[in-house]
Amino acid sequence: MPYEMIATLMFSTMMLMLLTGQRVFGAIGFVAVVAALLLWGDKGGFDIGFSAAMKLMKWYPLLTLPMFIFMGYVLSESKIADDLYKMFHVWMGGLRGGLAIGTIGLMVLISAMNGLSVAGMAIGATIALPELLKRGYDKRMVTGVIQAGSSLGILVPPSVVLVLYAMIARQPVGQLWLAGIVPGLMMAALFILYIILRCWKNPELGPALNAEERDLPIAEKLRLLRAGLLPLVIFAVMMVPFVNGWTSLVESSAIGAMTAFMAAVVKGRMTREVFENSVRNTLGITCMFMWIILAALAFGAVFDGLGAVKAIESLFTERLGLNPWVILIMMQLSFIVMGTFLDDTAMLVIVAPLYVPLVGALGFDLIWYGILYTITCQIAYMTPPFGYNLFLMRAMAPPEISIQDIYRSIGPFVLVMVGALILVMVFPQLALWLPNYVYGK
Amino acid sequence: MRGFIRGVDAVNYRLGRVMMYGIFVLMGILLWSSISKTFFLPTLWTLEMAQFVMVGYYILGGPYSLQLGSNVRMDLLYGDWSKRRKAWFDAVTVLFLIFYLAVLIYGAVSSTAYSLGYWKDAPFSFLASVMIGTGEIGTVERSPSAWRPYMWPIKVVMIAGFLLMLLQCVSELFKDFLRLQEAET
Repeated sequence: MPYEMIATLMFSTMMLMLLTGQRVFGAIGFVAVVAALLLWGDKGGFDIGFSAAMKLMKWYPLLTLPMFIFMGYVLSESKIADDLYKMFHVWMGGLRGGLAIGTIGLMVLISAMNGLSVAGMAIGATIALPELLKRGYDKRMVTGVIQAGSSLGILVPPSVVLVLYAMIARQPVGQLWLAGIVPGLMMAALFILYIILRCWKNPELGPALNAEERDLPIAEKLRLLRAGLLPLVIFAVMMVPFVNGWTSLVESSAIGAMTAFMAAVVKGRMTREVFENSVRNTLGITCMFMWIILAALAFGAVFDGLGAVKAIESLFTERLGLNPWVILIMMQLSFIVMGTFLDDTAMLVIVAPLYVPLVGALGFDLIWYGILYTITCQIAYMTPPFGYNLFLMRAMAPPEISIQDIYRSIGPFVLVMVGALILVMVFPQLALWLPNYVYGK
Repeated sequence: MRGFIRGVDAVNYRLGRVMMYGIFVLMGILLWSSISKTFFLPTLWTLEMAQFVMVGYYILGGPYSLQLGSNVRMDLLYGDWSKRRKAWFDAVTVLFLIFYLAVLIYGAVSSTAYSLGYWKDAPFSFLASVMIGTGEIGTVERSPSAWRPYMWPIKVVMIAGFLLMLLQCVSELFKDFLRLQEAET
C-alpha cells in the first residue's frame, strides 16, 4: 500500500474513533500502536508507544505545563484578580464603552499571568460580565469582549499552546513566547479600537458611568491602582530571571506558580476549598494533556517513519505546481474550518504533526508560523459549534445570556482576529522583531 | 464485578489523592534548583529528579483523572446521545483503549528488562525471575548524564501506572455493563 494511503487511513480511522466519543488520547494512541504493529510488527512495532513515554520524560520544557495550569487555577479559584477589575472599573469607567475597554486590559494582564484561556474566562464571566450588564452595556458586545479577550491567554506569554507547539515543531519556547508579545498586544489594541468605534457610533451599547460612581477620592483611586501591581510583579518575578538567563524556563515557571500561590495565601484567599479545587483540577488537566501528548508522540513517530510529509509536500509543490504562499493560505483556511468542528486539543495534536513539517519544508520560519498557528487556535476556541470558550461561557455566564447571544456575540471579534492573522502573515516582522532583537539573531 | 469496581476505584482514588500533591514536590525541586544555581553550586540531580516526579505525577495520577472524567472526548455526536447509547459505545471503545495500554505495558516491560541488562525476547519471564530472586541481573542501565541515575526504578513506576490505568479502564467497562443492565430492567 502506498504511504499516502496509509496516512489517509490512519487519519480517517482516528476521526471516526473520535466521533464515537472515545477519549481523545485513546483514539490517537490506539491508531498509532495498531499502525506501528501492522507496519513493522515485532521489529520495533511494539516499542513505539512506550518510547514516546521516554521521549516525553526527557522533554524538559514540558515541566512548565503543570506549573502554569496550577497558576491559572490559583488565580481563577482564589479570585485574587477581583481588585484588578475594580481598578479598570474606576479608571476607565468615564469613557463610552470604557468598561469594555477596561475588560480587554484586564484580560491582557491575566494572560500575562497564565497560559490558558480558562482563568481569563472564569474571571471575565463571573466578575466582569455581571457588572457590565448592570451598567447597561449591550450583552452581545460584552459577551464577545470576554471571549475574545480571554483567548489572548494562549498568545501572550506564558502560553501553554506555544509550549506544545514548540515540542512538535522542535523550536525554542523562549523565542516563541517573545514572538507572541507584539501580536498579542496588537490584537488587544484592535479589539479596543473596535469597541471605541462601535460605542462612538452607537453610544447606548456602552454608556459611560455616571459621575457619583466615578467620583472616588483620589487616594482611593490610587489605592486601587496598586492592584495592577500584582500581575506585573508575578510576570516580572517569572520573566526577568528567565530573560536574563539566571534561571531556565522551567525554573521560572515554578517561581511563578509559587508567587501566585503565596499571593493568594497572603491575601487570605487560599481557603481549603480553593486549595482542593486548584490542586485537583491541576492533576486532572495535566493528566489530560500529558496522556494526549504521549499518544500523539507515538502517532507522530509512525507518521515520520512513513515519510508521508515529503509525499504530501511534493504533491502540492511539484505535481500541482502551487506557490508556497497559496499552500500556506489554504492550510490556514482549512485549519480554521477544522477548528470550527474539532476539539482544540485534538486539533493541536492531529493537525500540527502534519502541517508543521510541511511549513518547514516550504521554507517558512517556524517561529512565525507558531504565532499564526496560535491565532488560528484562538479563532477555533471561539467559533461554533465547537469552541472551548463557547462551552465555558455557556457554563459560567449569567442566565439572561442565551446561546444565541453567545453565538452572535463573537462574529465581529472573529473578523478582527482574522484581520490580525492577515496582518501577521503579511508583516512577519510583527512576530519576529522582538525575538530577533532579544536573541540578537 | 461490583467488588472489582469498588476495589480498583478505591486504590486508584487513594493513589491519585496522594499524587495530586506531587505538584508541590515538583515545584520544590525546581525552586531548589534555581536557588542553588543562583547562590551555591548548581545541583546535578534536580533536572532528572523533576522529570521522574513528573512521570510519576501524570502516569500514577492518570487513573484518578479517568475517575474525575478529565479526559476530553469529542462531543459532536456523543454529547446528545442517551445514557444507554453512551454506555454501549463506551463499552466498545474502551476496549481500544485497553489494547493501547496493553501495548504500552509490553513496551515498558521489555524496556525495563533491558535496563536490568536483559535483551533477549522473553522479558516477562525475566522480570518474574528477578522478582523471585533467581534471575541474573546484567549490566544495569544508567542515564547518560552527570548524575547517572539508574533507569529501572522509573520504568517500574511506569509499568505500575499503566497497569493501574488498565485496571481502571476495566472498571469503567464494568460500570458500563452495570449501567446497561439497569437500563434493561
